[in-house]
Amino acid sequence: MRIGDFKESYAADEALFRTPTARAGLAALLAALALFPLVAGEYLVYLANLVGVLAIGALGLNILTGYTGQISLGHAAFMGIGSYAAAVAQTRFGAPFWIAVPAGGLAACAAGAVVGVPSLRIKGLYLAIATLAAQVIFEWIFTNWTGVTGGIRGINVAPASLLGFRFDTDVRTYYLVTAVAALHAYAAANLFRTRIGRAFVAVRDRDLSAELMGVNLFRTKILAFMISSWYAGIAGGLFVYFAKVVTPESFPLTLSIQYLAMIIVGGLGTIQGTLYGTVFVTLVPEALRSLTQVAQKISPEAMSWFHPMKDILFGAMIVGFLVFEPHGLAEIANRIRRFFALWPFPK
Amino acid sequence: MKTTKRTWRLAIAALLALGAASARAAGDEEIRIGACQPITGRFAFAGGQLNAGLGDYLAYANEQGLVKGKKLVYIYEDTGYDTERAVATFKKMMAQHSPVIMYGESTGQGKAIAPELNSRYKVLYGSTSFSSELADPKNHPYSFVSGPTYSDQFGILLDYIAKHPKKGKPKVAFFYSDTEFGKDPIPWAKERAKALGIEVVAEIVTKVAAVDVTTEVLSLKKAQPDYVIFQGYVLAPIPEVIRAARDHGVDATFMSTFWSMDKAIIDKLGPDAEGYMGVNPYAYWWDEAPAIAAMRAYNKKVHPEVTYRPNSYIQGWFTGMIYVEAIRRVVAAKKPVTGDTLKDALATIKDWDTGGLTGKVTFVSNKAAVGRVYKANVQKAIFEPASDWIYLK
Repeated sequence: MRIGDFKESYAADEALFRTPTARAGLAALLAALALFPLVAGEYLVYLANLVGVLAIGALGLNILTGYTGQISLGHAAFMGIGSYAAAVAQTRFGAPFWIAVPAGGLAACAAGAVVGVPSLRIKGLYLAIATLAAQVIFEWIFTNWTGVTGGIRGINVAPASLLGFRFDTDVRTYYLVTAVAALHAYAAANLFRTRIGRAFVAVRDRDLSAELMGVNLFRTKILAFMISSWYAGIAGGLFVYFAKVVTPESFPLTLSIQYLAMIIVGGLGTIQGTLYGTVFVTLVPEALRSLTQVAQKISPEAMSWFHPMKDILFGAMIVGFLVFEPHGLAEIANRIRRFFALWPFPK
Repeated sequence: MKTTKRTWRLAIAALLALGAASARAAGDEEIRIGACQPITGRFAFAGGQLNAGLGDYLAYANEQGLVKGKKLVYIYEDTGYDTERAVATFKKMMAQHSPVIMYGESTGQGKAIAPELNSRYKVLYGSTSFSSELADPKNHPYSFVSGPTYSDQFGILLDYIAKHPKKGKPKVAFFYSDTEFGKDPIPWAKERAKALGIEVVAEIVTKVAAVDVTTEVLSLKKAQPDYVIFQGYVLAPIPEVIRAARDHGVDATFMSTFWSMDKAIIDKLGPDAEGYMGVNPYAYWWDEAPAIAAMRAYNKKVHPEVTYRPNSYIQGWFTGMIYVEAIRRVVAAKKPVTGDTLKDALATIKDWDTGGLTGKVTFVSNKAAVGRVYKANVQKAIFEPASDWIYLK
């Protein structure tokens, strides 16, 4: 139960984590994240890295789609731009990762500014199609601009290193990815407490009213695209150091759609939801796969129909969430939290 | 309720018996072979068969006692043809089972796992891929290709074309998809064609799932090639192209590499398969070779319902043969079975007789550059050899 929760200063009222429970929860989460690789095996750490990288990208898409209301089907392409920019910066110019990854972010940011231009004129599904065009165009560039991207074979990169410390194992990469992801989640949570962030939300809720209130629509939308693409670019840059190779086939349209699935399942317009969604979309298929492994031991003959079953089951779970909790996993988490806020007293 | 209880008791007893059985069988030293198989996803058309082929051969080797005093244990997982999942599966298997041999689902997985394969895992690594990038002992010392690379397959076809000119200097067109799979052999193939005095009159690049192929066929008509070689497709759009080419009066022989050389394409083409050719590194299910006969006999015994196995199954089976051959050589030399000894043993394979499943196998640069040109027989709906085994130097 939470009682005696008084705010005595503006600073306390403005804090991101306002209650002792929330702060304790955060501390526990951070401790768990820090200790995780010590107890988990290599396989789980690898998956955690994948979740971390994708979570940064999903945060970016949620800023654009969830908070600003601009649908994008080209998010994977921005991630690709970040990857290629980072890989080129490292292999061609010998840039260390702490320059290469932000370079990826900046490159994606610049591309986002260009792709975002049509958003002033077109909205909704029309914008989705425009960003789809960006996805196709960039995928084509990745494949065919052989001189820079290495064509279909892509670019192999060396592990990141900082002051002689090489991030060459999954555990080391984990700390890098987790730190960057935490920083970006924190930044995203704060973004919506600033004028810019509130302008994003105003544009989403009613762009005309936002403009009447003095929000410069064009600038705001472009900015949303740029920030969103920065996130994708950083995710892409980290992806390179995580996967050690970048090829055009790493950023297909299906990844863009997977990103949309993450933020929809997690909850549009929530930071926590984004993280839940990423974990769900990445790990549930993996968990189902482990289940099939168990089933395989019991009945090897049934595998031919059991393997495809897991995809069907995963699809059904997503539909189930959308039907029973349209606000996503974040809302379920909130409901649980509200229940315990007054517990054990009834409402 | 009583029956339920009894069923439970029976089930538990059965489980215990199973456990005891597996404990007893563990007398021989185990050699674990792990596989990341693309059983679902885009590669599913072949993944299930590749898995069955590899698993069956290893079971067959156990049954025949091909590796004395050792028991081969096959462990596989589905990866859904997704590079990140495949890498995750690889790591999981290494942690759980520590196999000495692994099998991978794609070229992408081979590239992504390479740094750690070379520095930490050090296991022998075979895969579904025929990519020339993986047949590179310098960057991929532990990887090998189960036969010729795509470049070698093109080399074999070009060799054949050079020896069978239609009129004057042979003219060939390359028709490929804009994927890694499609583009892999093209640069090398162009050089090779030049060296053999074959003119490349057209290069046509399409999407994998191209539907409308009229423009491509018109450019074929303009270029007037004697031979057209497809690369980077499985079925579509090959039948569409061949049909449209016939309609537009293109007089060319159409050829393909491994993945478009299964019976499925003849079935799909029907009478239009007349004259269709291509290269396959292996013999077919219906061929009369001792190794194939043994495969058929094993299938008849273990999978009585099976009447046909596609060439992806045979690739899996052959990869199993390579694994077992490498293990046998290591065991014969009385060395411990590790990734390092296995990879060294692989390099010693020279003029290995595979019982007619393929030509004589010699591993150079982690691949065996041998294959045969086949031609479709429309009446029987099978492929028949159009050449002897061709060895690429």
